Amino acid sequence: MQTLNISDVDFAEPGNMSCPGCGASIAMNLALKALGQDTILVIPACCWAIIAGPYPMSSLKVPILHTAFPSAAVTASGVRAGLDMKGDTKTTVVAWAGDGGSFDIGIQSLSGAAERNDDIIFVCYDNEAYMNTGVQRSSSTPYGSRTTTTPGQGWKKTRKKNMIEIMAAHGVSYAATANIAYPEDLIRKFKKARELKGGTRFIHVYATCTTGWGAPSEYAVKIARLATRCNLFPLYEVEDGITYTLNEKGDTPVDAYLNLQGRFKHLSLEDKAGIQNQVDKDFAVLKNKLSVC
Amino acid sequence: MESQAMIKDKPTFQGLTNNVSLYISKSHASSRINKTGSWRFARPVYENKTAPCSASCPAGNYIPKVVMHLSKENIHGAFRALIQENPFPATCGRVCFHTCESACNRGSQDQAVAFRCLERYIGDMAITENFPLDAKSLAAGNAGNIKVAILGAGPAGLSAAFFLTRLGFSCEIFESTDKAGGVMQWGIPSHRLPKSVLDHEIQRIVNMGIKIHYNHSLDAEFMTTAHHSFGAMFISPGLSVPLTMGIEGESHIHQGLQLLMDIQTKDMPLKQGRVAVIGGGNTAIDVARSLKRLGADPVIVYRRRKQDMPAFAQEIVDTEKEGIEIIELKSPVAVQKIDKGFILNLVSMAPVTEKGNDGRTRVMPVDNTPETMIFSEIYSGIGATLHDSWKADADAPESAIKLDHVDFHLKDIPFLYGGDCVNDVQSVTHAIASGKEAAIALSAYVDSGIDSVKKTVDICRLGAGKALSMEIYLQGERRLNSDHVVTDTEINLDYFTSTPRIEPGHIPLKTSVTSFKEVEKTFTREAAMAEALRCYQCGFCNECENCRIFCPEISITRQNGKKMIDLDYCKGCGVCSVECPRNAITMEEEK
Repeated sequence: MQTLNISDVDFAEPGNMSCPGCGASIAMNLALKALGQDTILVIPACCWAIIAGPYPMSSLKVPILHTAFPSAAVTASGVRAGLDMKGDTKTTVVAWAGDGGSFDIGIQSLSGAAERNDDIIFVCYDNEAYMNTGVQRSSSTPYGSRTTTTPGQGWKKTRKKNMIEIMAAHGVSYAATANIAYPEDLIRKFKKARELKGGTRFIHVYATCTTGWGAPSEYAVKIARLATRCNLFPLYEVEDGITYTLNEKGDTPVDAYLNLQGRFKHLSLEDKAGIQNQVDKDFAVLKNKLSVC
Repeated sequence: MESQAMIKDKPTFQGLTNNVSLYISKSHASSRINKTGSWRFARPVYENKTAPCSASCPAGNYIPKVVMHLSKENIHGAFRALIQENPFPATCGRVCFHTCESACNRGSQDQAVAFRCLERYIGDMAITENFPLDAKSLAAGNAGNIKVAILGAGPAGLSAAFFLTRLGFSCEIFESTDKAGGVMQWGIPSHRLPKSVLDHEIQRIVNMGIKIHYNHSLDAEFMTTAHHSFGAMFISPGLSVPLTMGIEGESHIHQGLQLLMDIQTKDMPLKQGRVAVIGGGNTAIDVARSLKRLGADPVIVYRRRKQDMPAFAQEIVDTEKEGIEIIELKSPVAVQKIDKGFILNLVSMAPVTEKGNDGRTRVMPVDNTPETMIFSEIYSGIGATLHDSWKADADAPESAIKLDHVDFHLKDIPFLYGGDCVNDVQSVTHAIASGKEAAIALSAYVDSGIDSVKKTVDICRLGAGKALSMEIYLQGERRLNSDHVVTDTEINLDYFTSTPRIEPGHIPLKTSVTSFKEVEKTFTREAAMAEALRCYQCGFCNECENCRIFCPEISITRQNGKKMIDLDYCKGCGVCSVECPRNAITMEEEK
């Protein structure tokens, strides 16, 4: 086994308010290692609004601007404009939103910022539901999932919104998926996004929520890794909306991923076969895009 | 927290920003005030465990540590870790039957790690680059320079000398022949163990200040006088008397062991014709392969089935590759001399369901009409036994303490019997185990008396098995390891992709069967590194840092080179223990 080479300089501190085994915490710790000290975070309503700690406490060593649910992107644009006025070109402005603040409530301001090509990095740390308020389904919640608003036989029958493709369709200079289980890849992507100044960059980070997904906390990273190994969450990058690069190729059946989580435990074999079928189709579509470039 | 970015630079649009308040409230307190550790109901603990390879290795090699050093290209570290437990790495790397590989957890994913070959690579590097014995880290005790007489300079005697010297004893070895090494010297042909390799490893032990008396008669007189001048005796006479079959015409059968010895000491004439070798153990195999190299066409005749042969499996495979036929289920009953050779009368055997006392399959003659085969020579390779003069001595009296690899008789001074005369399995590695166990037992006896011997040996065990560790006896870090033997299901296979085992390669068959050149090659550096990376290093923290990288709480830090878990903040999620690829972190319930 080759060992991971990850810096031990941290911009986060212990004592945060996340649940045990929080994937979003791991995502932030790793992302800040790449972004560094000269970063301003804009955080809308989401788990991280709580994890960072109530005022005047903070679990991060970089400034955070808390903002309302829909406005992470546009607030980040504003902070950027302010810094520009001050002549500060060094600081990176990062909007750090959950899937609700990106896929659903935040999508109009995100789309606007991307269309204006504002100089920000927008990060969606995706835990596939409104976890902070008690596991309500979002448009990121995958097919087959039970949440508190899709309980029992009413489990979610529609698919997860394909957010990175929406962002790639805006033609942004850089859109990428990343995963907490692949720290070197994640850090590389955040560094790349930081270097590509001048426009909107979008990173979609897969961040397990064992609390909301009905899984043991110790499996946070294992589940995330399986998401990529099963091709449910392929790791890839899109530059200028055109050039696709695939970073990891999975070959594991989706059962391995589904069976570890309580939110999928009601699924029948046919349901799982259907999910496998959909994953294979989606991956084939992605692979076709690779051949275009 | 202070936002440097917001306040340090001068505004570009002076007029505009003068009228706009840029004040944003800033946090000044760290979240460290929240001692989230109070949420925890289980805590992670760094706990190295016992790897199955180590537990099954009679010599107790600290395999995960050796491989860890090797995979970090620290060949000196790897050698130090090996020599701590085993004075013969280059020799064992050739002749050991590698129980480590049968026990290897990797075997259930693809194939076992080729540790024997890795051990050989490290041992060979130590020879070619003449690595010093790191006396400081190896030596540990001062047993008041108690003088120990060691009878027999075979693998057991030499390793007893190696371990006893480290513990502060002063050793003299008495050897009846003119060379040290015992069966490694005269019993193992050089196509398996080149003598230059063996001699180097013996010399390394002798250089610790051990005196060897060669050609020394080890008769009853010596035994009665020796204990006046010594404080203890370690007796490892080895098995030197060939077993006999008790069949008609046995005098026409040559002794295989004698042939092996002659090859080492004399110029041997070339042989020809079909030659029979009787037996199924390593001796028979070595004799047959040696005869092949002398030009004969040997055939192995064995009374049981091929799968019952006590010879090491790989040896059997290699033997057949060299074109040596193995005739199974034939038992010799008589030999007759004829003009151009000998007639060997054989009866056919068949296995019976009931097993023998030793648990092995028994065979019975199918019919008593012998078939005959003609050979130009017949050799016996059925093994050897203890010389009569030792038998009475080595028979353990009731007062003797029977350890796994040593019999400890307390007479006026301690007499410790070890090596082949005591061990269930006669192998070089078991002989090394005897030497180590004798050193630990004697040292415990000297320090705390006879009652402490068994207790001390038990403390030094790896897992629950028979393997002992000198590092544990010397209070090294290994003593902190848990006895739990790591199983394959406890390894996080996410970190290990399936890759085939790397084999070191052989010299061409044409060359190997016509000379006594070593058949198997040593690993190249690249091959050794690649094979080392296949090892899970079960239960052994190799500082991969996964625990720190994936800790959601930033609660794992490195202080003074050691990783620390900050229990003030650790919420006990357990991610570190799962993401530890090798089960070196245990979750313990909070009490």
